[in-house]
Amino acid sequence: MTGTIHSLWTTAADSATPLDKIPTPKIEYAQLSPVLIVFGAAVLGILVEALLPRRSRYIAQLGVSVTGLAAAFAAIVALAADGYASAKSHIAAMGAVAVDGPALFLQGTIVLVALVAAFTFAERRLDPLAHGRRVDSFAAQGSTVPGSEQEKRAVRAGFTTTEVFPLLLFAVGGMMIFPAANDLLTLFVSLEVFSLPLYLLCALARRHRLLSQEAAVKYFLLGAFSSAILLFGVALLYGYAGTISYGGIADVISGTAKMTPALANTTANDSLLLIGGAMVVVGLLFKVAAVPFHMWTPDVYQGAPTPVTGFMAAATKVAAFGALLRLLYVVLPGIRWDWRPVMWGVAIATMVIGAIIAVTQTDVKRLLAYSSIAHAGFILAGVIALSPDGVSSVLFYLAAYSFVTLGAFAVVTLVRDAGGEATHLSRWAGLGRRSPLVAAVFAVFLLAFAGIPLTSGFAGKFAVFKAAAQGGAVPLVIIGVISSAIAAFFYIRVIVLMFFSEPQPGGPSVAVPSALTSTAIAAGVAVTLALGVAPQYFLDLAGKASVFVR
Amino acid sequence: MTLAAGHPGFMSPTGVEIAFVLVGIATLGAALVTVTTKQLVHAALWLVVALGGFAVEYLLLTAEFIAWVQVLIYVGSVVVLLLFGLMLTKAPIGRSPDADSGNGWVALVVAVAAAATLVWVVVDAFRSTWVDLGGAAQGSAKVTGAILFRHWVLPFEALSVLLLAALVGAIVLSKRGAPARRSLLSKSEALPMRGVPSERKARES
Amino acid sequence: MDHLIGALIGAPLLGAGILLVGGRRLDRVGHWIGCLLAAVSFGIGAALFADMLGKPTDQRTLTSHLYSWVPVGGFRADVAFQLDQLSMTFVLLITGVGTLIHIYSIGYMAHDENRRRFFGYLNLFLAAMLLLVLADNYLLLYVGWEGVGLASYLLIGFWQHKPSAATAAKKAFIVNRVGDMGLSIAIMVLFTTYGTFSFGPVFAHATGASQAKLTVIGLLLLLGACGKSAQVPLQSWLGDAMEGPTPVSALIHAATMVTAGVYLVTRSGAIFNAAPTAQLAVCVVGAVTLMFGAIVGCAKDDIKKALAGSTMSQIGYMMLAAGLGPIGYVFAIMHLVTHGFFKAGLFLGAGSVMHGMNDEVDMRKYGGLRRYMPITYVTFGLGYLAIIGFPGLSGYWSKDKIIEAAFAKGGTEGWILGGVALLGAGITAYYMTRVMVLTFFGEERWEPAPDPDKTPGVEPGIEVHPGELPHPHESPRSMTIPMVILAFGSVFAGGLFSINSAFLKWLEPVTGHSEGHSPVSTWEVTAATLVVLVVGGALAWAQYGRRPVPVTAPRGSLVTRAARRDLLQDDFNHIVLVRGGEHLTRSLVYLDHSLVDGAVNGTAASVGGLSARLRQVQNGYVRSYAVSMLGGTAVLVAATLLMRAV
Repeated sequence: MTGTIHSLWTTAADSATPLDKIPTPKIEYAQLSPVLIVFGAAVLGILVEALLPRRSRYIAQLGVSVTGLAAAFAAIVALAADGYASAKSHIAAMGAVAVDGPALFLQGTIVLVALVAAFTFAERRLDPLAHGRRVDSFAAQGSTVPGSEQEKRAVRAGFTTTEVFPLLLFAVGGMMIFPAANDLLTLFVSLEVFSLPLYLLCALARRHRLLSQEAAVKYFLLGAFSSAILLFGVALLYGYAGTISYGGIADVISGTAKMTPALANTTANDSLLLIGGAMVVVGLLFKVAAVPFHMWTPDVYQGAPTPVTGFMAAATKVAAFGALLRLLYVVLPGIRWDWRPVMWGVAIATMVIGAIIAVTQTDVKRLLAYSSIAHAGFILAGVIALSPDGVSSVLFYLAAYSFVTLGAFAVVTLVRDAGGEATHLSRWAGLGRRSPLVAAVFAVFLLAFAGIPLTSGFAGKFAVFKAAAQGGAVPLVIIGVISSAIAAFFYIRVIVLMFFSEPQPGGPSVAVPSALTSTAIAAGVAVTLALGVAPQYFLDLAGKASVFVR
Repeated sequence: MTLAAGHPGFMSPTGVEIAFVLVGIATLGAALVTVTTKQLVHAALWLVVALGGFAVEYLLLTAEFIAWVQVLIYVGSVVVLLLFGLMLTKAPIGRSPDADSGNGWVALVVAVAAAATLVWVVVDAFRSTWVDLGGAAQGSAKVTGAILFRHWVLPFEALSVLLLAALVGAIVLSKRGAPARRSLLSKSEALPMRGVPSERKARES
Repeated sequence: MDHLIGALIGAPLLGAGILLVGGRRLDRVGHWIGCLLAAVSFGIGAALFADMLGKPTDQRTLTSHLYSWVPVGGFRADVAFQLDQLSMTFVLLITGVGTLIHIYSIGYMAHDENRRRFFGYLNLFLAAMLLLVLADNYLLLYVGWEGVGLASYLLIGFWQHKPSAATAAKKAFIVNRVGDMGLSIAIMVLFTTYGTFSFGPVFAHATGASQAKLTVIGLLLLLGACGKSAQVPLQSWLGDAMEGPTPVSALIHAATMVTAGVYLVTRSGAIFNAAPTAQLAVCVVGAVTLMFGAIVGCAKDDIKKALAGSTMSQIGYMMLAAGLGPIGYVFAIMHLVTHGFFKAGLFLGAGSVMHGMNDEVDMRKYGGLRRYMPITYVTFGLGYLAIIGFPGLSGYWSKDKIIEAAFAKGGTEGWILGGVALLGAGITAYYMTRVMVLTFFGEERWEPAPDPDKTPGVEPGIEVHPGELPHPHESPRSMTIPMVILAFGSVFAGGLFSINSAFLKWLEPVTGHSEGHSPVSTWEVTAATLVVLVVGGALAWAQYGRRPVPVTAPRGSLVTRAARRDLLQDDFNHIVLVRGGEHLTRSLVYLDHSLVDGAVNGTAASVGGLSARLRQVQNGYVRSYAVSMLGGTAVLVAATLLMRAV
């Protein structure tokens, strides 16, 4: 085995080497430590679930998750400080993952988002006491039939689903590998690793359980469908290049790879490459919720427990855009003339349709879902730029957007009535009169979504559109600005509704959260304002982290 | 297990190629019966034949590992799962003439189109590629194992994490605490699959 | 030392943050926090001052670059500070007088339940004002400019329950908007002309622009300065702004904020020097305002409004000086500083008088107070002597120099401007003597306190006993001590500055200085000033000191009546601006309804319709979602292949 890049034909030629003993693969444990820590914490969480008595699990799980995520973040910072984000960046674990600037930046973002999300997961003061016990947003027992006697009994017995913490950690681990994956197989496996826990988490809402379960099933079915498309694309790419490592495929596309007769045969026709590449991209576009692969988003965002929605909306987008960036910048730049126009179309459709459908939404969570679709379009505009500026602007946008989203959904959990969260917009009328602070915080997030200056949204949008315009996509930028204007309309409408409408009699009340959710919301506001008032430092950071390793 | 070394061509088939074509025809037939038979259980059983046929084809291509994986996963678990599903949903044994949804023609068009695309793509890509199957075979368990534990060790381990997560998820979704004991599934538990949070509903409310 | 500049602004900003966010739980200690942080800021300012004095003249400028806010191409918006001698002067004035007024407010606002909020606003004002004078570029200056506008709005309207206060706050805000618009357009033109906001490059290349552009920039800057410094034609808000608590009037509307315009003109000296037309406009505005304010000051019976007129007039002097160019910059700033001392002292004295007189503001109902409030009498008297330019006191040193510089402008202009300035000095003596006599001399014309329920114009927080005669008394220590300190400043500051031309030498490296060729000699000016001063004072004495003063004001001549109505400024504004504006607005509204709304609503409706139609696709069925995904994939694949084919 001479080459580190496995390929169908080369291994066959090398196979004269005796295979009696498998040589030990070279694994750089230190450089993989962030992911390993998170997975380790997840396994620890399962042990907690299995061994500790029910009463002490909640505290233990929260402790394990928070500690694990914090340690993972520390490891990422240490790696970046050690130069792995720039000079020392390389491919690790036998070519499976890349340790480079974008990977570390995105992993750091994901871990921080998850850390904040873990706080919202653990919130236990919003719902009224159920039989004298504090309860969180998750079903007492997932298997009970909604509204059945069983369920009531489970609630009465004080069951809680503390397994959500290990599931969260599994998802986080998968998301961390996803943007760092350096071959298509790792890409697919990590996609599944983070998708599966998310399907499960979606099904576990305490209130509106039918909606929640339906959302999970929809997400699962469509997710499986998209995975299949992705896998098919992977197979086609393999058929084309004879390898599934990013660098290998890129070499074949650019013609720098060693030509063998077999390779000459398959690369004679680019159809395999084009179709395969398109299908892999489709699999990723599904995860970022780009039009026309966005249909699941509103239903799932609405049905999932709100803390999960916040986490999913923020972290999945970061991970999936990271993977998309790497795919387009490392694997497929050789055929950019083919995919760029197509991605143009996708970006335009995503921005416009996301913004337009959002206009008539009446449910806060659905509104935020459509807003997330529109934002996916804005980010795509930066992805298409194909320049270091494009990468850094997307990285910045993702960091900014994820915290705004997380904060916004955390606020949604606070506005409640007897049936749980009051998500219908009409119920939010006059919220500014009753709870000025909550309404003001939500207004900050909405302004950030709309891209008003001095919020992170403005800085992000500005960076992305600037990169796109410099990449020659001026029409795209114009359409983006128009969509932003349409989008601003419905964000502002919510603000007007909150502050200038008469409160409804018997309207929802704002629950007083514990320090956990307060911390999450405060973190969201702080990041939103910090990235808005002083974006330069973070733009520089993203700029330094914008070189992919091959 | 050799092709006509040095003289590849369609006009001088070897025994292996003849066997390959014969098994292929049998597999195709089994697949056709699977989708046309009116008896659900029969369909599942014919599926076993079709999937088994694939396994034989893999063997003929010297991909022994994939062949056994095919048997294990598809014949061993997928079909068994199907049969379980049929049993648990109390599907009628015998003919069920109403099983067809009437979309058969559409399905046929989609299937033919998909098959045509695949055939075209594969033929187009590998038109005259000849792979020498001599030497240590690609698909042998030994080679696969070596590659799996050297090159693909990280995805492999990640898969184990995936399985662990799936396990936890399965437990979370199905675990019943002490207070409830009821039959595993009942009619009332069937999930309503039609758009509860659809736009129509959202607008009405 | 560079980083201390940030701390200078940071301390009061922190105070504002703590006090405004902290809520009611800080009510007990709020005023101490406010005072402490103001004092800290003053301490830092003093330390920086000491440091600056230790350096050679040409190395005294400190800069501190905090960060760049979105640098894009040529557009750089830096948060950077620059501390030179000019800024330093302002820093000491703002923090010094500011701290004294903080201390004074402890006593003055003692009975107000919102005292913590008041101190929060005061701190906010300090921070914004410091930002304004420390910015090293126009954009940041504008941030501070708007910040002081906001703080002043909040402070004028502090007693929101008084409709007059709320209206006054609104009026100040709106009138200031007009000026701010001028400033913002000026900054935009600056940027398009010079490609930067920073003072350094702009001033270095000031002469590079065309004369027309320079004049436009200069006039727009002047418009901004007029708004903030209450110069004609944007002067109308200052009188009404006296509705705010008296410390506010002292701090904002006498000592600091209203001088921002003078700062702007002086700071932009390089631009004005290159645009003589704009410079002349500054002079004219200054001269007109100085007469305007003086005449209004003569007619007002409300002590604070009389002082407000005087403020307007004194800032007119400063503007006039600043418009004279390098001859006058130094004296403008010097008068600004001495004025800061004596006008703040006078306002605090007025507040003290009101404090003792059941919050009565009508001077016709005062009289003979010198026996009851000796400290107030003495400090107010010293301030009075300083403002009229009594030889040896602060005002004398700074005002005489301005009059002299006005004559030195030369030509007809010089004679006119100098004459106006000289006449203004006489009128100043007249109205200030009038205030002094009406308040502290003569017989007691006190009247029972009005019923606060019937007259909403009474400052709350002060004990009022309806129907009783007031019992004038001296104010508490926390109020008198700042007055005493300010009185010291009123007496000695001008003299100290003038020893060996210390102030001139201090400021010259920044503003530049040139001696004009005055057609009249220094002693002639001094003598003439003294003459008009004595005439003005004597007239006032003859009118108010020797005859009994009627408690209700006589009808008076046409001029007096006009002056009482602020020389009809509000009527003018109402007829010309408001009516005209209403007509304009009405026609615009009509246009808006028929054309713009039609277009906007049409767009909104079509977007809404499209939205409603698009969401039909979102029907909730997984199978149709899957079909759309499949279709999307097919389209994507086909499009990719097509791109290759094309």
